[in-house]
Amino acid sequence: MARFNLYQEEQHPSPLQYTWLEFQKNHIAMGGLVCLVLFILITVFCPLLAPFDPNLQKTGNILVPPSWDANGGITHIFGTDGLGRDILSRVLYGCRMTFGISILLVVFALLVGVGLGAIAGMSKGFRSSFLNHTLDSIQAIPTILIAIIIIAILGTGLVNSMWAIVLALIPQFVHQTRDFVRSELSKEYVMAARLDGASKIQLFARSILPNMGETLVMQATLALSISILDISALGFLNLGAQAPSSELGALLSQGIEVAYIAPWNIALPGGALFLMVVSVNIVGDGLRSALKNRLLH
Amino acid sequence: MTLHACDALITSKTDPNGIVYCSEGSPSSFNPQLDTFGTTVDASSHQLYDRLLDFDQTSGEIVPALATSWIISPDGKTYTFQLRKKVAFHNISTFTPSRYFNADDVLFSFNRWRLSTHPYHQVSGGRYPYTDSLNLNKLIKSVKRLNGYRVEITLQKRESSFLANLATDFAIILSAEYAKTLTARNQKQLIDSVPVGTGPYKLSDFRQDQYIKYSKHPEYWRSDKLTDKLIFDITPSSSLRLAKLITGECDAIALPAHSELEVVRQQDNLVLDEEPGQNVGFWAFNTSRPPFDNPAIRRALSMAVDRNALLEAIYFDSAIAAQNIVPPTSWAFQPDVKKVNFNPTAAKKMLRENGIEDGFSMTVWAMPVKRSYNPNAMKMAELIKGYLQDVGIQVNIISYKWSIFREKLSLGLHDSVLIGWSADNGDPDNFYRPLLSCAAIESGTNRAMWCFEKYDQIINEALDYSDTQERAYFYGQANELLAEQLPLLPIAHASKYQAHRKELNGLLINPYGGIRFGGVTKH
Amino acid sequence: MLNILLRYTNLIIITLFILSLLSFALAYLFPGDPIEIMTGLKLEELQKLQNQSVNIGYDPEGGVLSQYGHYMSELFSGNWGVSFNSGQPLYEEIMQSLPASIELSAYALTISLILGLPLGFIAALRHHKLPDYTLLSFSVVGYSIPVFWLALILILVFSLHFGWLPLSGRLSLIFDVPNKTGFILIDILMSDIDNKHAVLLDALRHLILPTLSIAIVTTTLILRITRRSVIETLNSEFIQAAYARGLTTRQVLVRHGIRNALIPILPLLAMQFPTLLTNAMIVETIFSWPGIGSWLIQAIYQQDYSAIQAGMLAVSVFVVLFTMSIDMLLRLTDPKRKKVERGTI
Repeated sequence: MARFNLYQEEQHPSPLQYTWLEFQKNHIAMGGLVCLVLFILITVFCPLLAPFDPNLQKTGNILVPPSWDANGGITHIFGTDGLGRDILSRVLYGCRMTFGISILLVVFALLVGVGLGAIAGMSKGFRSSFLNHTLDSIQAIPTILIAIIIIAILGTGLVNSMWAIVLALIPQFVHQTRDFVRSELSKEYVMAARLDGASKIQLFARSILPNMGETLVMQATLALSISILDISALGFLNLGAQAPSSELGALLSQGIEVAYIAPWNIALPGGALFLMVVSVNIVGDGLRSALKNRLLH
Repeated sequence: MTLHACDALITSKTDPNGIVYCSEGSPSSFNPQLDTFGTTVDASSHQLYDRLLDFDQTSGEIVPALATSWIISPDGKTYTFQLRKKVAFHNISTFTPSRYFNADDVLFSFNRWRLSTHPYHQVSGGRYPYTDSLNLNKLIKSVKRLNGYRVEITLQKRESSFLANLATDFAIILSAEYAKTLTARNQKQLIDSVPVGTGPYKLSDFRQDQYIKYSKHPEYWRSDKLTDKLIFDITPSSSLRLAKLITGECDAIALPAHSELEVVRQQDNLVLDEEPGQNVGFWAFNTSRPPFDNPAIRRALSMAVDRNALLEAIYFDSAIAAQNIVPPTSWAFQPDVKKVNFNPTAAKKMLRENGIEDGFSMTVWAMPVKRSYNPNAMKMAELIKGYLQDVGIQVNIISYKWSIFREKLSLGLHDSVLIGWSADNGDPDNFYRPLLSCAAIESGTNRAMWCFEKYDQIINEALDYSDTQERAYFYGQANELLAEQLPLLPIAHASKYQAHRKELNGLLINPYGGIRFGGVTKH
Repeated sequence: MLNILLRYTNLIIITLFILSLLSFALAYLFPGDPIEIMTGLKLEELQKLQNQSVNIGYDPEGGVLSQYGHYMSELFSGNWGVSFNSGQPLYEEIMQSLPASIELSAYALTISLILGLPLGFIAALRHHKLPDYTLLSFSVVGYSIPVFWLALILILVFSLHFGWLPLSGRLSLIFDVPNKTGFILIDILMSDIDNKHAVLLDALRHLILPTLSIAIVTTTLILRITRRSVIETLNSEFIQAAYARGLTTRQVLVRHGIRNALIPILPLLAMQFPTLLTNAMIVETIFSWPGIGSWLIQAIYQQDYSAIQAGMLAVSVFVVLFTMSIDMLLRLTDPKRKKVERGTI
């Protein structure tokens, strides 16, 4: 049903719309977003896009250069690796693996982190301070060390390295949430809800959480770029994803063996990884400045 | 000024007084008597020690070393060696030799592996894989000192490959005086980790998985030119070794990867030497484990794998397909044995007939290191996995750290393994006996765990004759037996390569055994 | 002030105690026998040593509590056990590799500060102008680039293609420099070897690529932090007030801007320490730099649990001491601060 517009005044966008409008003004950020959407599409539709099975070995087609090289062919656009596997397919599947897993990790860390942060923000005294100190210590330890401990106990493998990264990601969500909750608690609208008799859980879920959305998304993009870098670094060091896997870091480490004779084996997966992180970071930056601009107005 | 500094920073200057060799791994000890693997041999045999006899590096003939001459009795059982005089042992920080090399050192070195009652026999484990696998300890009846510079060795029976065995990397001469000093100090175990020999270089420092540093042995008996320092930079990754060779951080590298040979050829300041290899890379089935004790299943598995594709993918055509376990350059080679043809359909049928159903799972062990006979076992295992999947067999690829791998392998925990063998001398017996005789199971070189009475009989009989034609007849029988039984599937005989920088002079490929730096110079 | 000192000493002691408990617990969590892991010796060897009535420092039949007591006393006497793999004493191995890592990180950090701080100021002062955008896009690229990929590219270009710089280790193995402090440049300067100049040059050549790989990433982080902080400071009221008093931009910056912008930067920089260390550890493995990072990763590959346990403890103690001392220093210089401020880059 069309709404009748009684007033001549211009439309007031909602905060979310406003952020989006601000974001749109930034062309670089939009470019990053397009790139990011592309990676999401790859992650979802990878099996349809990849021309070959990433683990299909063709012994007759070893180290075929990419198609722009004089010796390259059209069948393998990005060339093949030392076992005759199609690099385009491997990179596509690698993007799916690295990106998909990173998103999973971030979502998981976000849920846990917001939960813990809410508890820390709403409570005072020992419980809060204990949580603080534990998280500070975890945050001070380099991810790679956490990963080494977990891997030493549980053995190498993708899943084990994922635990390490989740553990490293959680603290920042907790801090973010706690600080936000703390500052909101003293604001009038929360006070009003409290006077209405809202319980702590209601207070958080109904009043505070809806206002956190954008900050959380921004934090999540940051976490996403960290998560991508970490998971590929562990794959690269052979601590995470293992050899036949096409995770981008693992792909790179497999490419080192032939780095000199077939540099595209490290250039292409590395480039994909780099592009992925750049687009995530650009979108994160764009979101942050859009948010800042909105708050300024 | 800054330009000059920049210049100095980016122009590499190599030190002419030291050679850096990028090797592929850490030796297990500094005594090749204890270990048949190339890494240990490279790090010890020709650098630290000498043998009574040597192989000439170009012709492969047996030439004098610590023994200046020898006489063989007419019945072929008694060998008398005249020893070289004024050969000095290494003078190291914990030991100063008081005398030159003499017959006592020969007696000590031989008796250590020969006699289980010898005080040093049990030091470092008491296993001497090379000599044990050839039954040399049983073959030698006595080693006698005739005088200070004359030694007599008597055999139980005539054996045509005996002299060749004395010239291998494993028949090194240790210092009896050093052993005595260590016994007095109650430090016997140091004999293999802080070595004393007569070789061109002495050990000065070793850090596991990092480097081995040697320094010149100033009183070396040969007139070979030596550099002040010799360094083994331990670099397990072959691409990293090549990279270091290109940047000049290494002067020579071990085992250039077959895929990278073209790169070495193209670089102006690098030299690539090539020799047909006296080796064989194979896929051994653990015949002590069912169902691999069944020759039909071994044949079916062999037929499921396209060896020519393996050759292309792993060796980059720098190897020839193997028919026998000996390479075609050997006189025991036989081209017309029963062949294994690639035929997955027939293989599948054969497997089903012998009770191997779809989904059967087995392990393929892939050695974690590179050898000329198999430059990339991991990759080969992955390819084999692909082939066996086509006939309905699931493959688990297994690999451990090298030392653990070998330990578990000799316990026979594998279903099958990708490994190989490099000859230590020109005698074909060096393939047949260590690889597949019953005695070699015990000494840990028989990877198929295969003990076949008829085979042992044939190859032992071959040793009673000295005429190669007569011996070739027996080896022909052995070849046929192996082609029929297939305890292992020979895959390739790979060429042996050596890459070094142009500045390095005198580095030759040693066709039998380890690298030799005596006489290698740099300018 | 004394109050703060006491509080922090207290905190450090408690944290170290917890760390020692965690490290001790690792011996039980890792696969294998706890005593084997703590000593690095196999049980048979331990039995043999005991039969020869050598004091092994542990009581194989003792309870967990007494085991912990033994563990601590061995730890303090510098007996950290031996490596499963090499059989070398771990204390010595760690004391050789930890300084190598610290040295590498320190040079990288120094370069990053020298470049990052001024660039951050420039970007902030030219806010929303061309230099700002240029630097900002450079920084996005810089901190998005995976450090291992960057290192590989640097190797491909500078070592393999041009052949200018070596790609592994910290000194050519030809040279023997006595190990005194563990810091290679200091060791060379302190030693009395004859060709000191050549050796020093060689060490510098080995340093360039690894330092650069870490520094590029760290510089961009510092640039971003500085830029944000300066922009925020310049927008604050006291700066407006200073302008209102008629000071020139230069005077405002020198008298009020720089100091106030730098104070919030320091804790944020300290927060980047784990990232720096992670990057250093990855770069070490690529350049075969004999630091604690490549040492620990080697230990993982070889399942050398005794080495992992000791190495972990050494690194985490170092990290804790370092971050807490920085924290304390910040508190001492700026008592207004209640706690570490957290921020995003």
